[in-house]
Amino acid sequence: MEKFKDQSTLHLFEKGLITENQFEEVKTYRSLKIFSLNAELKLFLYLSVLLFTSGIGILIYENIDTIGHIAILSLLLIVIAVCFFYCFKHSKGFQKSETTFEHPVLEYLVLTGNILTCIFIGYLQFQYKPFGEHYGLATLVPTIVSFFCAYYFDNRSVLTIAITGLAAYVGLSVTPQDIFNDSNNLYASQSLSYSAVMLGVLLVLWTIYSQRISLKAHFGLVFLTFALHIVSIATISNLTGYETLTWILFALILAGSTYYFYKASYQYKAMSLYVFMIVYAYIGGNIVLFRIFENVDFSDIWELLIFLLPAYFIGSIIMFIKLIKNFHKEIAE
Amino acid sequence: MIVYNKQLLDNEVLTDEADALYKGGFISKEQKKFIEKELPVLKSQKNILVRIGFFLLGCLLFGSICGAISLFGLSAENTFFKICFYIFAVVGFAGVELLANQEYHNHGLDDAFILNALLCLGAAIGITTEGYEMVIAFFVAVGALFIFLRYLHVISMLVFCLSATAFLFFGMFEFGDIGKAILPFTAMIFAGVFYFLTKKMLNRLNERYYYNGLLLANSFCLVLFYLSCNYLVVRELSAELLGPEVKPGIDIPFAYFFYAFTFIVPVLYLVQALKTKDRLMLWISFLAIGFSIYTIRFYHSVLPIEVALTLGGIVLFGIAYFSIRILKEKESGLTFKPDRINHSDSLLNAEALVVASTFGMKPEVKPQASPMEFGGGGFSGGGSDGSF
Repeated sequence: MEKFKDQSTLHLFEKGLITENQFEEVKTYRSLKIFSLNAELKLFLYLSVLLFTSGIGILIYENIDTIGHIAILSLLLIVIAVCFFYCFKHSKGFQKSETTFEHPVLEYLVLTGNILTCIFIGYLQFQYKPFGEHYGLATLVPTIVSFFCAYYFDNRSVLTIAITGLAAYVGLSVTPQDIFNDSNNLYASQSLSYSAVMLGVLLVLWTIYSQRISLKAHFGLVFLTFALHIVSIATISNLTGYETLTWILFALILAGSTYYFYKASYQYKAMSLYVFMIVYAYIGGNIVLFRIFENVDFSDIWELLIFLLPAYFIGSIIMFIKLIKNFHKEIAE
Repeated sequence: MIVYNKQLLDNEVLTDEADALYKGGFISKEQKKFIEKELPVLKSQKNILVRIGFFLLGCLLFGSICGAISLFGLSAENTFFKICFYIFAVVGFAGVELLANQEYHNHGLDDAFILNALLCLGAAIGITTEGYEMVIAFFVAVGALFIFLRYLHVISMLVFCLSATAFLFFGMFEFGDIGKAILPFTAMIFAGVFYFLTKKMLNRLNERYYYNGLLLANSFCLVLFYLSCNYLVVRELSAELLGPEVKPGIDIPFAYFFYAFTFIVPVLYLVQALKTKDRLMLWISFLAIGFSIYTIRFYHSVLPIEVALTLGGIVLFGIAYFSIRILKEKESGLTFKPDRINHSDSLLNAEALVVASTFGMKPEVKPQASPMEFGGGGFSGGGSDGSF
């Protein structure tokens, strides 16, 4: 591979597209023969956090009656305290802009500490019921802790935990595997769909607000991603409902959210938002089209429809290619 | 043989290089834009999401075309069924050629047509030969190789590798029980020979058009080599093919060889990868080590799962921590500093997603039904156990 890389730099130089200085710079850099294990080692750290906290979680779950409760709680508390002690010691304090730790390990310590805190509170609630029957509160407290950690230490992974916690408080499960399997059963419960839409709107409003006061503006994309998926899935699963008024209402909501996220993805230059926005809009649009024609009797001309189908898809493909091209052009500037 | 304009393919490489240099901070944004304007390229999609989207759309288009064609054949049911997949395969290949002439390459649309064409080819041969696997594998392999050589389609190289391996396996089955018994060794030798063969071809390569495909084949041989004599694979496959012969107390023949193989090969890969600075091999060695641990835990429950997870986490943390400490200050060679040119942190971007799916909180189900849902349900992480 190396020889081809060097070759293409040379070609660029020969074509006069890069200057001699730049060419020399690249050449000296390549001669260092850097083989970076940055991503790999970080992934290891990350895996170790996942393994460790999963292990602890199961350990507590399985032995919940055998080991002394106080022993478990105090052990957890000590580990949490150690994690957060190091994090606070090395953190630069709260900052409105993006910050990173000097040492990459600390970022993962924050994650460990946070997950363990959540386990701790869950265990506490299960055993001693400090929140009584207010189960919502038992979700809300870890959520608040996670939001605090996410904002204080500037940690994206913790932020996603916090958002799932917030959604859980509303009554939604937004972990990726649940939201796509529709384990929330949005189709059956309309009120949950309304709360999903409300949650989405709330997330969007918060993003706009923090953008305005420039508070951790780089978190915006995370919030918007959650909002897009929550709102779109909630509306699409309600498009097939029986009542005409309901599905028209949700179609309008979907149209509105599509418009907003169209604008937002240009603003954030985020391809992932843009693509999913289009996909949801396309699915929703097709369902709406189907609903409009569902009462028309096509039984005489269904062959014609099948012949039209390829043309329809070709048309959609051309449209998508145009949309994507436009987007590339816009964000390049 | 290559259908694309070679000038455009070369340009593609150069713009990729320019992009890498821009990301590494060697050239300015204006310069990169100028280079992109100067060098016209093929229509391709770099973003994997967009590519998947176009792939799905392409599949819909292909399906709808096939549906329209089927309308003609409805009257002649049985004869049509016998030949319909040949027609679909022809549609697929024609579509690929058309797209290639329109300069689509790695776009998603061409992926859809290529993979569907190969699938239909396999189905067509399967119907004609009434499911004779070896012949199906042979024709799919030939088709995939043709596509790779003509359209430089790397995914079809993977299809080729898989179907060639399938061809070998089904060929060995023809020899009856003896063939099945020596299958691991045959596969191992096959993988080893082809590894060195592709390696040699890679080193001799003067033009880079086929580079990625050959690299894929090369890595595939590494994976096949490891899997061919992995203890778990051998034992389960022999139980599947030769009947349940492994009784308690008795092990499979050559068990010590397979155990040793399961452990030595990943370590060999790791050492070799670090020595030759081969990132692909490094990743294969990580996966192989993980699978070796899984192999052991599959047959011998050394530790209860929760203790194993916790200890594994601590050990892994220690390894990573000390490696970072050692490598942190190094400026050249093996280092912890991110490489300016070859980024490989796209994986790290998926981090938050994994956290959300493993540790995301779920709403408690109605309290009266199960008051203990919270701590247990939300954080047990039970769903993730299998993959470790």
